[in-house]
Amino acid sequence: MAVRKFFVYVLSALLVLAFTAGCSKKSDGDKGSTISAEASSTENAGFGVSSKKMTITLWDIATEDPTKSTQESAVERFMAAYPNVTVDNTHIQNDTYKQKLIISMSSGQCPDMYIHWGGGPMNEYIDSGFAVPITDLMNEHCDVPFLEAAIAQSSYKGDIYAVPFGGIGGSGVFYNKTIFSKLGIGVPQTIAELEAACETLKNAGYIPFSLANQNKWTGSMYFMYLATRFGGVDEFNAAVDGSGSFESPAFQYAGEKIQEWVRAGYFPDGVNSLNTDDGQDRQLIYTEEAAMMLHGSWQAGSMRNDNEEWYVNNMDYFRFPNLASSDKPQNIVVGTSIGNGFSFNIHDDQEKLDAAFILATQFYNDDTYNNEQLATGRIPSIVGMGDTIEDHCMQKIWADFSSASNVQLWYDQYLPPAVGETHKNTCQEIFGLTKTPAEANAELNKAMREN
Amino acid sequence: MKKNASLVQSRQRSVRIAATVFLAPVILIMAIFIIYPIVSTFSISLFDWNGISKNREFIGMENWKMLIHDKVFWFAFKNNLTLMVCSIGIQIPVAIALATFLDAAGRKVNLFKVAWFLPLLMSSVAIGFLFSYALATTGGIITTFSQALGGGKVDLLGRAPQALYAVISVVAWQYIPFYMVYFLAGYGNIDINIYEASIIDGATRGQYFFHIGLPLLSPMIKSACILSLIGSLKYFDLIYAMTGGGPGTATELMATYMYKLSFTHFKMGYGSTAAAGMFILVTGFALMMQTLLKGNGSSNNE
Amino acid sequence: MNNNRVKSNIAWTIAAVLAVCWLMVTAIPFLFMVINAFKGQFEMLQKGVFELPDSWFPTNFIGVLENGFLSYFFNSVILLGICLTILLFFTACASYPLSRMKFKLRGPIYALIVACMSIPIHVTLIPIFKMSTVIKTYDSIFALIGPYVAFAIPISCYILTTFMASIPASLEESAEINGCGKFMTFFHIILPLSKPGLSTLAIYNGVAIWNEFAFANTLTQSRKAQTLPLAISAFKGEHSMNIPVIMSVLVLTVLPMIILFIILQEKLVKGLMAGAVKG
Repeated sequence: MAVRKFFVYVLSALLVLAFTAGCSKKSDGDKGSTISAEASSTENAGFGVSSKKMTITLWDIATEDPTKSTQESAVERFMAAYPNVTVDNTHIQNDTYKQKLIISMSSGQCPDMYIHWGGGPMNEYIDSGFAVPITDLMNEHCDVPFLEAAIAQSSYKGDIYAVPFGGIGGSGVFYNKTIFSKLGIGVPQTIAELEAACETLKNAGYIPFSLANQNKWTGSMYFMYLATRFGGVDEFNAAVDGSGSFESPAFQYAGEKIQEWVRAGYFPDGVNSLNTDDGQDRQLIYTEEAAMMLHGSWQAGSMRNDNEEWYVNNMDYFRFPNLASSDKPQNIVVGTSIGNGFSFNIHDDQEKLDAAFILATQFYNDDTYNNEQLATGRIPSIVGMGDTIEDHCMQKIWADFSSASNVQLWYDQYLPPAVGETHKNTCQEIFGLTKTPAEANAELNKAMREN
Repeated sequence: MKKNASLVQSRQRSVRIAATVFLAPVILIMAIFIIYPIVSTFSISLFDWNGISKNREFIGMENWKMLIHDKVFWFAFKNNLTLMVCSIGIQIPVAIALATFLDAAGRKVNLFKVAWFLPLLMSSVAIGFLFSYALATTGGIITTFSQALGGGKVDLLGRAPQALYAVISVVAWQYIPFYMVYFLAGYGNIDINIYEASIIDGATRGQYFFHIGLPLLSPMIKSACILSLIGSLKYFDLIYAMTGGGPGTATELMATYMYKLSFTHFKMGYGSTAAAGMFILVTGFALMMQTLLKGNGSSNNE
Repeated sequence: MNNNRVKSNIAWTIAAVLAVCWLMVTAIPFLFMVINAFKGQFEMLQKGVFELPDSWFPTNFIGVLENGFLSYFFNSVILLGICLTILLFFTACASYPLSRMKFKLRGPIYALIVACMSIPIHVTLIPIFKMSTVIKTYDSIFALIGPYVAFAIPISCYILTTFMASIPASLEESAEINGCGKFMTFFHIILPLSKPGLSTLAIYNGVAIWNEFAFANTLTQSRKAQTLPLAISAFKGEHSMNIPVIMSVLVLTVLPMIILFIILQEKLVKGLMAGAVKG
């Protein structure tokens, strides 16, 4: 009895606290007024959203603005245009999204439409029957001129399975132009010049590269670029399909170069202990202890968001320099051309699939959507789209992307997931000098062959 | 005589009935939410399955054979053992000391009690963030001390052996308050007459603690050891948040490995094998420890 | 005697110094969390995380409260209340026969409880998710009650059994001589005497339930059902997180638990048992 009384006591204390702590009204559920914009598509005869009552479940990872409002507004415009269709839109935080998707697929509760990043996991979803091919829909009923590379990345075994919508994601070197001009360093065109710049920076007391490699994928960018500059995409593809090997010269070069740079002090102390989610790489840039940061193009948006004035005044971007001695194409970009894609788990209901497809191509990827994307520093995977972007770094990122002869997808997304994990682990050990490049690459190759 | 025997019988029957009624709800809840998943984990461990496909291929003991030869799993198990030994060795003695201090000092140190409890309240997100700065090689607390004493920079989380010990310390920091509260409640459970009697007999507080308090606490210390053992062998949170198992696989634990296999590598079948293997190891160790502790000294359970 | 007093004073001084040191080890990180909750993201990164904020105006806290924090909060409070009530009652029931009765299956049941403590929770996510969709509790806080109670039971029974075993047998025997049955004895003697143990359990499980993430994330998906640990996710993007905002969420999350602890810790003070017996 006493126990019960004592709980009433605790609960009422908590409730009192809740009322005194909160000074605001509940604002959830308030999705703002509906924007009724025109669908910007051209009409395809006989193709459209049927008047049947339907509910489409949609999962994305847009938990934070600006992505959240951009994507929600696409859904709202769609529902306004087709009141018979309800889109049940759920945002799931990126860190646990894949886990949640696996659990729902495994229990037969897979959403009708869900976001993914292409690559290895997409292939698993397709193989397991959670994505329908949309090749015909794409060829006949889609007027969006997607980048060829984006379509390639949305395809598997000759069919298209995804509609890109998240925008391209490249990678390159963000640098502090104030420090560069103070020390009289020009933008490095070759890896040799980059190393010379690193020496100058180091002698002036700066850390050349800011890198937070506890997360592993951050350091992987150095490995991917160095290997790609040395051997192009062919050597990687050969290593994957078994005609080549991860023990071949390009990967050996990448590993050795990284260790050379680590030994020369081009990276911060304790590079494997710094965490990029906690902002420890940006911290080194903001405190002006470090001068350069090889990172994903989304960093432009993050930095602008953190402090626009400082970012515009101090930061600039250059593409990862060329390897002069290589005869392979030097304009390959490491990144992703789809950013995010939607796949459809709609099997026996063509009307619903059509509706979902129209949502993905005519509301996501329409002018309103694309302009909102551009305004917030993301470039849709559509031909010519980046030409109007205003962010000075993003302009250069787009220029590199449009002129690239090829896009090397992030290894950890492209490779089968277990092999991707091995790559990230061995690459981190290369940075930590705890494995020689030869050992690391042998381990990676073994993982690839065993998969 | 006969009357007596039937009395004993009816007593036994009433005990059986009471025990059944008292235990039934708990056993039912555990059966649904724990025992059923355990059984299903063991059954999935016999399949080659990516976790989502409708087709799963029965492969018998193949996963188990693979697990026995899986270097990463056994390395992770070794890390778990290190974590276990350190946790029991650090957390419990410190917690006893803190609880004893609080018990001896009484109400006037309530502020300490609350402040010492704080680490248990902090979520692993906050702890991960906090310690990635506090342990940073440049500008972190340890490095600052080391440099003040004339030493160099200290890389705690980015190098293989240190990273594990650094995380173990943080885990200890987080869990000491739990054992502290546990022992404090244990002291609260000691009959106040025993304390009063010993003080009247002229014992100092120190004597009371070593000769009376601690022995009376020993059943709780034993169960704290078991709890710590199980907790360390299935630990997940902070390792996943602070190092993600890195650098390389240096701080991989059985639980983080199993999680990655199941949810990022699309190897649910093998991940379940790792989980089932982990379950066997943890239960085995716990029951072994239980028997060991029981055989050693007076047990309270009888 | 005098010598003893000097020794005792020295011992107390050493103990006090160590106590203050430990206070710093536990409290400073907490203050660090509070301090960073008042900063802006750029300010925090540029000036360093150990600096004091430029302004103590609670911008982040206001933002968090205006973004639906309270709905998470109330879900957590309701869930905590329900789970703790069920958990403590059933745990007390189960621990009583395990600690104070002799019957054949006691050993095996005890071993079963230990085994249930050993299960890694992540393997249970899929079966429990399936159950929640079958019994239609998915995406409501009721989906969480089962797993939260179930996963707290083994460790709680384990702790409480140890506790109840230390209650002197004489009290129970005298009750039985006075004609109390097992049930009367439980409610009138054992349960009141288990208060320190139950408080420990309430504190430990309260904190665990309050901070639980894996099940909450798996079994709920809309704002109406989500609990506080998911509020952190809601303030976290794909590639970036606003750390000061997340710190302020965490500070707001921790406060109720501190209050809960302050209330419950009174139960842990020595002498309560004697009082309960006499009164």
